[in-house]
Amino acid sequence: MNPALRKLIRKSEPSTADIDALIQDTVFPLVDGTDVTFVFRGQADAVYLRCWIAGLDTAQPFQPLKGTDLWATTIDLPKGSRIEYKFELVRDGKKDLILDPLNGVVARDPFGANSVCQAAGYARPEWTLHDPVSRTGSLHTLNVDSKVFGTAREIQVYLPATFRDNRRYPLLVVHDGIDYLRYADLKIVLDNLIHRLEIPSLVVALIQSPDRLKEYSGDDRHARFLADELLPFMNSTFPLIDAPDSRCLMGASFGGVASLHAAWRYPEHFGSLLLQSGSFAFSDIGRHNRGPVFDPVVRFMNEFREQPGSPADRIFMSCGMYESLIYENRSLVPHLQGKGVDVRFEEARDAHNWENWRDRLRIGLSWLMPGPAWMVYD
Amino acid sequence: MSTEAPLRLLLGPQRPTVNLDTAIARAGFGDGPIAVISAAWQEAEGDIGDIRRLLKNPLTDLGIYQKANDLFDADTTLHEAYRLRQDHLKEQQRLYRMRLRQLMIAARATLRAEGETSVIAAERRHAISQLRALDQHHLRQVGKIHTRFDNACNVESNARLADATAAVEAQFSQFDTVLITGGNVVVLMNRLRLFGLHRLLHDKQIVAWSGGAMVLCDRIVLFHDKLPQGRRDAEIMSEGLGILPRLVLLPNPSDRLRTRDLPRISLFDRRFSPAICVTLDSGSSLLFEGETLRACEAAKRMTRNGKLKRLRVT
Repeated sequence: MNPALRKLIRKSEPSTADIDALIQDTVFPLVDGTDVTFVFRGQADAVYLRCWIAGLDTAQPFQPLKGTDLWATTIDLPKGSRIEYKFELVRDGKKDLILDPLNGVVARDPFGANSVCQAAGYARPEWTLHDPVSRTGSLHTLNVDSKVFGTAREIQVYLPATFRDNRRYPLLVVHDGIDYLRYADLKIVLDNLIHRLEIPSLVVALIQSPDRLKEYSGDDRHARFLADELLPFMNSTFPLIDAPDSRCLMGASFGGVASLHAAWRYPEHFGSLLLQSGSFAFSDIGRHNRGPVFDPVVRFMNEFREQPGSPADRIFMSCGMYESLIYENRSLVPHLQGKGVDVRFEEARDAHNWENWRDRLRIGLSWLMPGPAWMVYD
Repeated sequence: MSTEAPLRLLLGPQRPTVNLDTAIARAGFGDGPIAVISAAWQEAEGDIGDIRRLLKNPLTDLGIYQKANDLFDADTTLHEAYRLRQDHLKEQQRLYRMRLRQLMIAARATLRAEGETSVIAAERRHAISQLRALDQHHLRQVGKIHTRFDNACNVESNARLADATAAVEAQFSQFDTVLITGGNVVVLMNRLRLFGLHRLLHDKQIVAWSGGAMVLCDRIVLFHDKLPQGRRDAEIMSEGLGILPRLVLLPNPSDRLRTRDLPRISLFDRRFSPAICVTLDSGSSLLFEGETLRACEAAKRMTRNGKLKRLRVT
């Protein structure tokens, strides 16, 4: 247990003022080497830590600290880890999931927000934070007519700060692009990496599906939309380098599946792929156990594993060690390498979330699309 | 124009240590007008207020980056041909890089190998000779791509290019001294070539820093060991201007090179020999009279044993 907490409960009757002082002077959760102690203060019948980490119990019970209104639980968290969590409070037979009231560090995602525990050795990368020196690119909303989907699809396009009509640019297509902007600070990351010459000035098409679980699960319509509608639209609207090695397709989770699937269906269209925590579920025999939403994914992945073809020349993959998909992602790497694809795979002590994906953007993008730092000698 | 061999003053990055003013004064360049080539700054070309504050000499930026853009806007055929050349150069560089990676792995392995000295020495020599052969081959191929472009697009066949080149040359001829800033060395070299300045600089007194200094050598070597994705094998980009032959310049080693990696530094020396590989950190300078080194400050050369040694005037 954390020393300050131990000292407090050793007192026979810690006063409210003692507890207030501890709460005020302490950063929660308490990180002592690899021991991380979560603390809840308040009335409850039971308290659980919910952190959705593959390998840990789904719900870790808190213990009430005698003579106080504090509850605590300690877990072992390796250095460099970053996890997202909530507290589950049980009161009068009702369960509530809440953010950690003592921890102001929060990560947002399309489903709401989670508290964030930054273990020893983890620090948010400075290149993910707004840098006033970096010139900012611009975002533009456009509509792409789609015969495939029978309707126009709204996309956002990022143009770099130094955009000029008489230049040519590489293209990055991002699945769940609006979510990447909102939850992974993609625009700040692009501005910073371009300014630091770590990636080239590039045009980014940010797409967002109204039905991602279907369209991103190995759906031929989506692949056709990308290859036959989005790419021609982007090529006719912006000065792009019209070559596969200047096009990258990117996505996380089901977006990773959609990226791999589109590149597989339309080889020679995308020279590189950035796949983050891809939901690459497959079955060697029998049924998978991930639920019906994964049925088309498994069908595609099984087919892909049989006949991988040549989806791209270079693939960057990342995955959190604390997500169950780590096994599928790890197993895909030698499979791709065996087919001659240049693969780089990064694992992180993190889980299936946007900030994990944000933190891997620098190494992924700069590996796939190296910037001119190489050529600039100021 | 003096009949003496022109002075060439090479400097390291002008950040954090600025030595442009003191080095020019010490070298005796005088207070005459200076033509500035800041094309390597691209969109920031001509933003030379900081240089004006340091030097009393009248300064004129030649604006060749923007002039090339204007020319391309006016002549789309030329622009297309230029882009096609750039595509070919990129493809050539990609293939060279792919082959280079394998040869570098082999060469590094021979440098780290332990065992029977006579056996290792022969393999090491052969591994490095293969590297050098690839570098030479790459230079020839890059040269062919440039020649194809030059044969198709030149001042005899393209009136707009002829006019633009003549205007730049006329302006350029008014200056005895040229200052070339650092920046994007590929852009700089392309712009110099487009307007034929790569042939005209040989007679001038030159002050250049970082990327500007690199183009004066006979080979331009790109390098960076500290990129986010890790080190990259040093690559030859193209021939330089050849004003300072048998010299490979490596600016800003503190930020770009793993200088304590002895096999890596040794390989630089062996691969580019007989040229000497010289590092230029901020605050350092080299002064040549013609091709003869007259003075140097804080510059270091790479050695066969992988260490950096202070460069001295002999």
